[in-house]
Amino acid sequence: MAEEKIEKNPEIVGFACSYCTFKASEMAGSLRMKYPEGVKLIQVPCSSRVDPAFVIKAIFEGADGVFVAGCHPGDCHFIKGNYYTRRKIAALKEMFDAFSMKDKLRLFWVSAAEARRFVEKVTGMYNEIKEKKNAG
Amino acid sequence: MKTGIFICHCGHNIKHTVDVKKLSEYFRHYPNVVVSEDYVFVCSEPGQDMIRESIEKEGLDRVIIASCTPSLHGEMFKDVLKKSDLNPFLLRRVSIREHCSWIGDDVEKNTEKAKRLILAGLYSAAHYVPLEEKIVDVKKSALIVGGGVSGLSAAVFLSRMGMQVYLVEKEAELGGHVRVLKNIWPSGRDGKDIIDEMVKELEGRRNVELFTSTAISSFEGFFGNYEVTLDTPVGEKKLTAGGVIIAIGFSPFDPGTKPELNYGKDKRIITTLDFERNADALQLPENPRVAILHCIGSRDEQIGKPYCSRVCCVNALRVGDAIKNRYGDSYVESFYMDVRAHPRGGEEYFEDTQEKGVLFTRANVAEIMPMPTGVMIRGEDTLFGETFEREFDLVVLSIGMSPPADSKLIASLFKVTLDKDKFFLEAHIKLRPFDTAVKGIFIAGSCSGPKDVEESINHGRASAVKLFGFLNLGYAYVDPFIAHVDPKRCSGCRMCEQACVAKAIKYDEAQRVVHVEDAACMGCGLCNATCPSSAISLKGYIDCMIDDEISAFLEAI
Repeated sequence: MAEEKIEKNPEIVGFACSYCTFKASEMAGSLRMKYPEGVKLIQVPCSSRVDPAFVIKAIFEGADGVFVAGCHPGDCHFIKGNYYTRRKIAALKEMFDAFSMKDKLRLFWVSAAEARRFVEKVTGMYNEIKEKKNAG
Repeated sequence: MKTGIFICHCGHNIKHTVDVKKLSEYFRHYPNVVVSEDYVFVCSEPGQDMIRESIEKEGLDRVIIASCTPSLHGEMFKDVLKKSDLNPFLLRRVSIREHCSWIGDDVEKNTEKAKRLILAGLYSAAHYVPLEEKIVDVKKSALIVGGGVSGLSAAVFLSRMGMQVYLVEKEAELGGHVRVLKNIWPSGRDGKDIIDEMVKELEGRRNVELFTSTAISSFEGFFGNYEVTLDTPVGEKKLTAGGVIIAIGFSPFDPGTKPELNYGKDKRIITTLDFERNADALQLPENPRVAILHCIGSRDEQIGKPYCSRVCCVNALRVGDAIKNRYGDSYVESFYMDVRAHPRGGEEYFEDTQEKGVLFTRANVAEIMPMPTGVMIRGEDTLFGETFEREFDLVVLSIGMSPPADSKLIASLFKVTLDKDKFFLEAHIKLRPFDTAVKGIFIAGSCSGPKDVEESINHGRASAVKLFGFLNLGYAYVDPFIAHVDPKRCSGCRMCEQACVAKAIKYDEAQRVVHVEDAACMGCGLCNATCPSSAISLKGYIDCMIDDEISAFLEAI
């Protein structure tokens, strides 16, 4: 019998803003949309609450991917929190790039109405990371 | 520490894909866990009693409820803790329905995910401290944006209940689209009469201020004390409003965006609104041939309007009815996709119109071509599968509702969300259909999706009742999730001061540390993520809680 390789499933930690992405994920659940179990969300009041240290900690502890998701630029409930997030994550991505793990970190904007976009984004990220994890 | 874990079955909603028995058994032997139960509906009366009994009997100091998403039943579960003399901020809600059981089908994987989600809640809750809710005064006044039928009906209700009402309308005249409607089905009343009645009542009250031709230039503050600046024709006006109702209505669909309809190029091609405005001025022959086209600007993916506008079928029936009443021997043909005469009595009205002689043809109309002798309609009969060409004297386009032209502007001003069709999004489609995600800001009428006059009035009144319930208390609890500085750690680098959007962080020159002004803090946590010395932390979302949540998710703890 041919040896079958065990399929590895990635673990993805997401930081979701209470006002938009977390609401979108609630809606995705209510609409019975499907996305992989490996995606787990941490609710934060605003994406700007995400300290780059959390992202690094998650990677250290074995997360295969981390995403930070907030409101679209200009829509932040706290006026401009997401602009700070954008800068912080951009700087962090530079650092990740130096360690060749740029694709482990994602930042995306999902409004409260965009349940489908949320599912597409997380599923896309999950599948890409899964493919890399199972390669070779 | 004595933690109680309550896992909800939610009937079959959670139970069918999560092994709840296994979970409650697993956590029963976990350190610091005293109670671990699963129950069919934790939110039910017996479920709540079970939590209260456990708190009182076992002396729980942390309660974890693994059930639906935290925004549902949040206040209710907090009350359960309050009734048992436990600080409500020692409650942790874990979403294992919207974020677990509903998004996957594999029982084993879902159970594992739910286990880790509860574990994250358990570790995070270990860092919880009792918090005191702030109480703020609420101003008993309401700002109503939009003077259409739903805004007016909200204003009438609130003014009758003694609230100070500020009604802002960008047009010079109140009444919106309803003002031009005549013989509104089914009551037969004119829109003008309905509007005038409401306006007259509002004008006679001392607690109502009406602003017409007015725009809102700025909007700031928090529930209970929103600071609003109005740009009125007589100059700027500042006011404070406890809450807001957004009722900016809709824009009629512009058929000019569909060139094949040739709207605006020939005066024999009109919309239902044009018909409403000047039906008497139409120059029609003795026995006119009239075509009525349904679903113009509705249920049309190609132009980005996949939704049903709900009112246009009845409008189309009204046009057919009116023409048949006026010209007994006229030829009236209605081209429809599906007739959705949904309001009460609508189906009967549909039948009556058919009996009066209006013909209904299920068709896709491809093109309208003005000719010297008439207007040619070319399309496909979708029941017979045949193409047709017919000539008419008048074509009436039953136009749908598009989102209001300034919906984006108003949404960004009030920081509320729009849905994919650019209508305003409600907080929950079934449980909170009048609220937005922002406390004290409500939506009313067709700005939250197409509605007829009756529904708009109901929606306006319902939002007014909900807002009245908030305002009439005179005070409100504010979440205590605000930033807090540990002066021993603060190095006085003032990075948080620069970052703070709310300007809530002040530098103390004498002590060389910063402090937070509680009333101004919005609770975003930006300062927490900015501080290089971890001296400032956001209550309820402190670093170690999030750290432990990450570790629990990854089983690294």
